Amino acid sequence: MKDDLTGPALGGAQERWSEYPQEDLYNWIRNSQAMIAAGHPRAVEMWNKYKPTVMTSFPGFTDEDIASVLLFIDEQYNKVPAGPVVAAGGGATAPQDQPGKYIYFFLFAILAVVVSVLSRVIYNLRAMVAAEDGVDIPKQKSLLQMLTSKGVVGFLIFALVVFGGYTTVNNGVSFGRQQGYAPEQPVKFSHATHAGVQGIDCQYCHDGARRSKHASIPAANTCMNCHKAIEKGSTYGTQELTKIFASIGYDPSTDKYVENYDQLSNEEIKAIYTKWIGDSYMKDNELTSLDRKGERTVSEQWEGIESALTNDLKENIAGPIEWTRIHMLPDHVYFNHSQHVNIGKLACQQCHGKVEEMDLMYQYAPLSMGWCINCHRETEVKFTGNDYYNTYKQYHDAIAKGERTKVTVEDIGGLECQKCHY
Amino acid sequence: MKDQTSYKDIWIGSEDLGREEKFIELATQEMPDASIASTLAQGGSFASASTGRRDFLKYLGFSIGAATIAASCEIPVKKAIPFVTKPDDLVPGIANYYASTIAQGGDYCSVLVKTREGRPIKIEGNSLSGITGGGTSARAQAAVLSLYDTHRLKSPQIKNSEGQFEAASWQQIDDLVSSTISPTSKIAIVSHTMLSPTEKQVVKDFQTKYSNTTVAVYDASSSAAILRANQLMYGVSMIPGYHFDKAKVIVSVQADFLGTWISPIQFARQYAAGRKIEDPKDAKMSRHIQIESYMSLSGTNADNRIRIKPSEIGAVLARIYNKIASAKGGSTVSAPELSQSIAASVDKTANELLSASGQSLLVSGSNNVAEQAMVCAINHLLGNEGKTVDIEQYSLQRQGDEKSVSNLMTSMNSGQVDALIILGANPVFELPYGAAFAEAMGKVGLTISTAGAMNETAAACRAIAPSHHMLESWGDAEPVRGHISMIQPTIAPLFDTRQRETSLLKWIGDDNTLLITDQPYLEYLKKNWASHVSTQAAWNELLHDGVFTYTPESSGASYTDNLASVASKISKPGGGTEITFMETVAIGTGLDANNPWLQEMTDPVTRCAWGNYLALPVHFDGTRKFIAHENLSDGDLAEVTIGDQTLKVPVVKQFGQTPDSFALALGYGRTVTGRAGINVGVNVHPWLATDVDGLTQYYASGVTVSGKKGKEEYFSCVQYHHTMGVTAEDAKTKQTINADEAATVFMTYGLVDQGFQGSLVNRTIIRKSHLDHVEAFSHDLAEERHHHQELNKQQVYPGHDDVYARGHQWGMHVDLNACIGCGACTVACMAENNVPVVGKREVSRHHEMAWLRIDRYFYGDVDNPSAVYQPMMCQHCNNAPCENVCPVNATNHSAEGLNQMAYNRCVGTRYCANNCPYKVRRFNWLDYNAADLWPINEADLGLESDSDDIPYGADNLTRMVLNPDVTVRSRGVIEKCSFCVQRIQEGKLRAKTEERLLRDADVKTACQTACPTGAITFGDSNNAEGELSKKLASPLNYLVLEEVNTRSAVNYKARVINKAEGVDA
Repeated sequence: MKDDLTGPALGGAQERWSEYPQEDLYNWIRNSQAMIAAGHPRAVEMWNKYKPTVMTSFPGFTDEDIASVLLFIDEQYNKVPAGPVVAAGGGATAPQDQPGKYIYFFLFAILAVVVSVLSRVIYNLRAMVAAEDGVDIPKQKSLLQMLTSKGVVGFLIFALVVFGGYTTVNNGVSFGRQQGYAPEQPVKFSHATHAGVQGIDCQYCHDGARRSKHASIPAANTCMNCHKAIEKGSTYGTQELTKIFASIGYDPSTDKYVENYDQLSNEEIKAIYTKWIGDSYMKDNELTSLDRKGERTVSEQWEGIESALTNDLKENIAGPIEWTRIHMLPDHVYFNHSQHVNIGKLACQQCHGKVEEMDLMYQYAPLSMGWCINCHRETEVKFTGNDYYNTYKQYHDAIAKGERTKVTVEDIGGLECQKCHY
Repeated sequence: MKDQTSYKDIWIGSEDLGREEKFIELATQEMPDASIASTLAQGGSFASASTGRRDFLKYLGFSIGAATIAASCEIPVKKAIPFVTKPDDLVPGIANYYASTIAQGGDYCSVLVKTREGRPIKIEGNSLSGITGGGTSARAQAAVLSLYDTHRLKSPQIKNSEGQFEAASWQQIDDLVSSTISPTSKIAIVSHTMLSPTEKQVVKDFQTKYSNTTVAVYDASSSAAILRANQLMYGVSMIPGYHFDKAKVIVSVQADFLGTWISPIQFARQYAAGRKIEDPKDAKMSRHIQIESYMSLSGTNADNRIRIKPSEIGAVLARIYNKIASAKGGSTVSAPELSQSIAASVDKTANELLSASGQSLLVSGSNNVAEQAMVCAINHLLGNEGKTVDIEQYSLQRQGDEKSVSNLMTSMNSGQVDALIILGANPVFELPYGAAFAEAMGKVGLTISTAGAMNETAAACRAIAPSHHMLESWGDAEPVRGHISMIQPTIAPLFDTRQRETSLLKWIGDDNTLLITDQPYLEYLKKNWASHVSTQAAWNELLHDGVFTYTPESSGASYTDNLASVASKISKPGGGTEITFMETVAIGTGLDANNPWLQEMTDPVTRCAWGNYLALPVHFDGTRKFIAHENLSDGDLAEVTIGDQTLKVPVVKQFGQTPDSFALALGYGRTVTGRAGINVGVNVHPWLATDVDGLTQYYASGVTVSGKKGKEEYFSCVQYHHTMGVTAEDAKTKQTINADEAATVFMTYGLVDQGFQGSLVNRTIIRKSHLDHVEAFSHDLAEERHHHQELNKQQVYPGHDDVYARGHQWGMHVDLNACIGCGACTVACMAENNVPVVGKREVSRHHEMAWLRIDRYFYGDVDNPSAVYQPMMCQHCNNAPCENVCPVNATNHSAEGLNQMAYNRCVGTRYCANNCPYKVRRFNWLDYNAADLWPINEADLGLESDSDDIPYGADNLTRMVLNPDVTVRSRGVIEKCSFCVQRIQEGKLRAKTEERLLRDADVKTACQTACPTGAITFGDSNNAEGELSKKLASPLNYLVLEEVNTRSAVNYKARVINKAEGVDA
């Protein structure tokens, strides 16, 4: 929109063509090659700049079509850039203390007072009886004696065992589960920006979800589909996006992929990207040389890139970005995304939560077996419209007769062990 | 024939037949040698055998401590690493299939290679191939494991001044070659049969540059006599194309055409086509007479068997020839005498052949030119030419003549060879004069091998230029004239290796412009096929299909009767004890001896694994005992002496072995190979003799076998493992005995006429009939089944029938007439389901893990019995006895009829395995995958060196073969056949995605696709239109152990044979 790529930037096209009649621009859009052949000065100038890339011809466009396209471009181009979307806050809010808890404390206190009053009454009554009988009044037990009495100690041990057992079992059951796990990632990638603000479909990047068991994290070349054009991020500028360029070997200064990138040394790579960061800084701040803040920015950003793309096992900056895995199923569980996305037609959000609002990705669902099973119990199979399910003739008959209103995943064996474990 | 035979109808071995105590003990021991304490005691790892109270407390304390520490640990951070640039055709989680070819020596199989995330993990047959038709063999299935062999060479090697190999660069290798050889050098190339026309072209180019190059082609299992005999009789050096499917009478003289001879996959497929019974009312099948000196896979499948000594092959062929020649008007030859009974049987065999003139086929595995010339003459006189014997589209699967190597050796010894290039072959091990060959190699200036892994010959070379594995290579193969099959790489080379053709091209060198390309041999290959494949699209299609056919020009073969010129050269019967050297289905001539899948696969006939065992003939004493030579029994060690060489070998008693003769397999006893093959079994190759024509003879006479000289330490015969035995308590002694035994005692020996099958009393395991009575048999079978079903009407859990009528109901059908027992399915099952290899020691302790075993039963005459193979896997019973004894419900039933096994729920009580009447459940006694952190849990492989004593498949390279869709099981859980549930789920998902009904082609089990004969059919029995439903309609079907009301899902189709009266001998 704003930058020249394989062709000139779309924004401002009308201004650039303003010295020629509007008709010329329209013809240029319909069939650029004809204009070049005809020797239109602006057309020839463009061709010399961008050849051999040929602009696609749209001979079918009416003037009205072109006018509306240009209007849209204009609107987008002149729009005031939106500030970074403020994070929605996710699940960060502290849980509200429930009033119920205080009631328990209150009750406990009252009961404790009642117990002490009653024990005092009992003691007094006993003392009175003893006094009447003329027996020695037993000495009142001290608090310490009471607390170390067999009954209390026994009760405490019992309570400890019960509490300990309860905690152990509970922790054991949830062992290995990581609901809410939200690790820092090497790249500050924001789903809120991409899926939320930009509205990119989940499966554009996670293209495995519709055809494979793995949704897969997109390869860096998928990022490049858009980020060849968008070279600076809306929030972090060059800080984060340069990590992707450094991973795949794209030099944004020249708009080209670096040849034999995987054979470059880290120093050579550093030269490419520190130059880019520095140049961008100067351009943004309208400087001709780096000031001290600029130098600090460059070195900080470069350190960030280096630490994001290297680790103990990976020395080279070139190569894949190693993301921290959030969703993990144990090896003995088989899960297939395409089954749920294609056949079950589930929305991604059902298991992954409102990803389009997450700045930092976290695990929304517990991913426990009970959670899977519950969903299989409740979810209705999309029974009609898919000829595969004609296998279940009895169910179709029962629905036709009105004996059955729906077929759940459970009904077609969705709770059986070997649906997921084999 | 013998009246004693009637007392027991079907048996599995001599101990079984003789009701020996050892058998009863073995058969009744469900889980022998079970406790960990005994393991530790044997291994000597702990001081005491039993675990005392203090030890118990120590372990308890340790476990609690460990658990506490483990529980307090944080979950480790896992990484998710995407591609940088993702290839378009690769989706993580989705398998890609590439058509390729497994061609090794002359063995051939057209395959599809399944790759996941770029790793080949499974071999499937290529159904487009006109030769193999989608069938595979055990060796083809196992090829994918040898790709990940840790023993493979990681880079070129050159010997230093001390005679040690050192890693070198390719530049050093090429420099070494170019500095040693010049265009006038005398160079020799040694190779096995080259199936590849393009490789032959490369060698031709090499010969053009280096004009003094001789090429010596030989085969480890030689068929040179066939080539020479056809040269003599037809004027063309060829192996004729055989058509077993078109033959009504098949006679094989010492040719194991179903197991190892020339092209077993192709022949098995043809053979089964003529043996399947579609309709009992109109039953037709071929008749197969096997004349041989040992029990081969073909012999066990034969209708009639004539047992001869190996030296009598010539006499037998001459007698058949004379009989046919006199009937058809040919000239007779002088034939050595045969014993009366054999002579009579051979005459009847000849009559059988005559009665099916033009529709018969005689083949022979003999390596004697005169005998093979007789085979040509017999088939010619019978009018089989152009019908069952194809002299136009003939086979190219054996092209070698060992005489060329012995000639070469003479030149080497006289110093007339400057350089020796070994292309993939291993002459030092394979040739009888291998040691002499190694010595002669010392007199050659430069010796260089292209072996991908170190072997005996490579070790004797000066340099090694390791070639790629087949799955990393480009290439082609022409197994039969006009049938081309392509080889394409399915993974980038794992190591710094170079395809041997590329090496040759490099050494031809200089002006070749292809050499600057990335893959010179690919360009060369394309250029070579440019006339057939002109466009890129055609090339892509060719690689997609993997195969194509063209019409070759006429072979020019025409028959001339030159038999008289060689007839006198036939072998003469000798008097003494003889020994046959044969190949086993798994190991063959030893090329793949380092493949643990093949070592662990049990031999179909002897049912032994991990070694070669001397087959002893058994003799029935007329009462109860089956006595072998010198009273030896299975697993004893005996000394075999031929000439001045003595070897100590373990023995097995083998029914059907010719009296006064023995058999021992080739291919074992490798001394230079990886740890799965090194010193496994004994090397018998030096015992092979050479006849006057310079051809290797695979037998020896004048052999002596001693009495017992000890016991094999880990005798790995699974014959008596997992038998379907039932135990009972003896009424008098209160001891646990085998119920069979009890019944036999009760009925007194020799008086019982029927009802004794295998190890069971009157139980339905094998049902069999003769072709002549098959219709009546089908009625009897129906009646028997009806009887069982009446009794079975009472159910423990009634009311589930409507569940099973709904949706899918998975089932299987196994045709016992089509199953030849080759074992391809067992290896395919191991590959598909990540079944661990446990090693020899564990197998000897009944711990083999195979989910699918092939039981072999004998029946008929005790001296010369027929055999039937029964693939036995989980029967997925609808009334499964295993399910209701599981205390934790780890095994239970699915609505689709699967007997499910949830490994993570299993606590290892093994009640299910105890209660399974089919004995198909396997327990992970130890950590066979080195999956946990405690080495004490790992299996002791019983290897000589302890240093690499980690389980097979526990290293990261070998683990690349694992199927990512199947859980790797840990120690302490039960596992078993799952009907390839991962394939079922994948097939269902495919149907759902395409919004259509499930088709048969969507779900095929690994055993089904591996089978060369189509014996196994899997499918949804609720689908009335499916293939399975059609097969289930046959009146010859039965359920194994139907009477115990397990309601199994696997139907077996009864075995029918076409035995001729009085032909056996």
